[in-house]
Amino acid sequence: MATPVKDPLTGAETTGHVWDDTLQEFNNPLPRWWLWTFYGTIIFAIVYWIMYPAWPMFDSYTKGIGNNITYKTDAGEEKSTHWNMRALLANEMQTGEPALKQKAYLDKVGAASYEQIAADPDMSAFVRSYGVGMFGDNCAACHQAGGQGVVGQFPNLVDDDWLWGGDTTAIETTIRGGRMGYMPAYSKTFSPDQLNQVANYVLTLSGQPADAAAAAEGQKIFQGETGGCYMCHTKEGKGMHAQGAANLTDKVWTIANVDAATTPEAKLEAVKAVIHNGVNRKMPVFGKEGRNLSDTEIKVLTAYLQQMSAGVAAK
Amino acid sequence: MAHSAALSSEQYNYEIVKKFAIASIFWGILGMSAGVYIASELAWPFLNFDIAQITFGRLRPLHTSGVIFGFGGNALFATSYYVVQRTCQARLAGGTFWPNFTFWGWNLSVLIAGVLYLFGYTQGREYAEPVWFIDIAITVVWVVYFLIFTITLIKRNQPHIYVANWFYMSFILATALLHIFNNLAVPVSFTSLESYSLFSGAQDAMTQWWYGHNAVGFFLTAAFLGMMYYFVPKQAGRPVYSYRLSIIHFWALSFMYMWVGTHHLHWTAIPDWTSTLAATFSILLLMPSWGGMINGIMTLSGAWDKLRTDPIMMFMITALSFYGMSTFEGPMMSLKSVNALSHYTDWTVGHVHSGALGWVAMISIASFYHMIPRLWNTTLYSTQLVYTHFFLATIGTILYITALWVSGIGQGLMLRAFDEYGNLAYTFVETVAFMHGPLVARAVGGLFFLSGMFVMAYNIYMTITRAKQEEPVSATAAAQA
Repeated sequence: MATPVKDPLTGAETTGHVWDDTLQEFNNPLPRWWLWTFYGTIIFAIVYWIMYPAWPMFDSYTKGIGNNITYKTDAGEEKSTHWNMRALLANEMQTGEPALKQKAYLDKVGAASYEQIAADPDMSAFVRSYGVGMFGDNCAACHQAGGQGVVGQFPNLVDDDWLWGGDTTAIETTIRGGRMGYMPAYSKTFSPDQLNQVANYVLTLSGQPADAAAAAEGQKIFQGETGGCYMCHTKEGKGMHAQGAANLTDKVWTIANVDAATTPEAKLEAVKAVIHNGVNRKMPVFGKEGRNLSDTEIKVLTAYLQQMSAGVAAK
Repeated sequence: MAHSAALSSEQYNYEIVKKFAIASIFWGILGMSAGVYIASELAWPFLNFDIAQITFGRLRPLHTSGVIFGFGGNALFATSYYVVQRTCQARLAGGTFWPNFTFWGWNLSVLIAGVLYLFGYTQGREYAEPVWFIDIAITVVWVVYFLIFTITLIKRNQPHIYVANWFYMSFILATALLHIFNNLAVPVSFTSLESYSLFSGAQDAMTQWWYGHNAVGFFLTAAFLGMMYYFVPKQAGRPVYSYRLSIIHFWALSFMYMWVGTHHLHWTAIPDWTSTLAATFSILLLMPSWGGMINGIMTLSGAWDKLRTDPIMMFMITALSFYGMSTFEGPMMSLKSVNALSHYTDWTVGHVHSGALGWVAMISIASFYHMIPRLWNTTLYSTQLVYTHFFLATIGTILYITALWVSGIGQGLMLRAFDEYGNLAYTFVETVAFMHGPLVARAVGGLFFLSGMFVMAYNIYMTITRAKQEEPVSATAAAQA
């Protein structure tokens, strides 16, 4: 049965085995190029094993030779070690061109005041470049890629209207410690009439159409002890940064989406809903107890946000 | 010819092969539909519709299990039962009961696992998502499968074991080993679907990728090489190119695959030496892989004209070409420096699909077009539709992998770009925005491939229906003659 057969087409011989009526095999030699390439990969592997950590030994492993990496430890002493991922990273962060450039800028910005940064085009440009990434990775998830926020949820950062203050000290405090935006719910305090009156009054503050008689009653509640709204929003309704209380007179709506409401009734309902339900918002801590951004990172982000709200960094 | 095929259907257990083949096509359509849908979700996220059960995270394991274990697994059961019988000239062991047990056991396991994914029950191990009791069921089915296959080999009426069977055997053994060790876990209770893995930390990750990559190596490669070694020479009508090459590359492949899983974990918390070994063994694996490709393609020498006339042969040669391409791409990507760019990007996904669509699916499709008419003792309903399927599948695969090269390499380059201040030039979300276009193209590529599967399902359906209509006629004709 096992008689080799010569193929008339190629002249190659089969092994002589036949399966399933027709299945046969030639016994061609291994293609030379295949064999030599295979040897080549073996040589490649051996060289790799010699140069890099490779084979486990009893309580250690072969470290590799001719491939040492030098870097500085946190304590500042110079260390030379066999190739490994951690040393490679340390070395790259200490000697790589981009890392060195970035470090020089970060040191410079870290030592400068906000005024100096704003006055120096080079530092300002660095802040924009670094800030884009910082903002994208830390802020954009809530405040959106362009910083425009989401009405009712996340404040708009590019409209130069600040709930907690827009100077660098206030922005820095906000980033470092986070914020708790709170307004009590008036669902139990106000009767439906009173709710209607206060809402009408709030609309008049920014010149929206409203029921004048109801608004007059609302003003008394707003400015008196029944509502006590003035305690945070002030008697004039201009708001208070220390409380994160919104300015109600500037036509910028951060929670009640009055701008999106098309009819006066809808605008009134939007305002009523906020007074009825109150507000409870939280921005997380980005300082030490939270995301743990460094002082310099917080400074860059603050400077970037200030540029952003002033339209300088608008992309 | 028809006469001997009729004899074959009595000599061999063809009923079980038919069942597995049809199940495979069913799962192929289901799994690939899920794939097209999740690909579309990545391009157009609104397709989640805020329904938890159809979000990417739930549907993705349904897609992978559906195509790997549903489509691929059933195709392997079907072809291995077919090949082992024909090359051993022996009827399948286990009577009618045990092969049927593997059929229902396997398909119910995949089905129940798939439904559980949708409700959030998963082990969270890639390609090993089924919960613990399904893992046990799969183990039982697999042991029965092993026994059926081995006993059939022992009963063979042939002095030698054909090469295809070596590959099927290594696939069955390695899959058992991988499945058992990676799924070692302690259930929370006997009534709970949850369990804790026996491994933790870096060991857990390495066990998982030892499993994950060898699922690729033995389930999706060795076994399909077994398929190739039977169906390519059969379809070409030519002897296998080199017996010697088949021995060398079989043992090299079996030995080396086991080492390389850790290349999925480069630049993470694993020891450096494990990374090096994984990378170098991946390079060493290049030529053993190509041994299979060479043996397949060179088998056609002396019959190259078939590429002009036989769409099944076109499927086979294209499958082998994609196999060669992705087994070249894989070792390159496993080098640490290349991996630093490719890891965590769509390049990886594209690479897997050049193997999965280009190699695994195409060689299975070709084998089905060869095998199914023979199982029903008939001829294909339409060769023209096979051509249509071939072009849909090829265009789909090329579109798919090209789109993900652009997406993956593009994102990789963006994530490592610095600006003139030494800062990272792009935020993560900017790289995501960049990927939108390629992700749309990828979904379209997947749709091409899926529509080819529908063409195949129709063609096969018509083939079988026609065979059943002809049956009584030919029986009468035979009686008259």
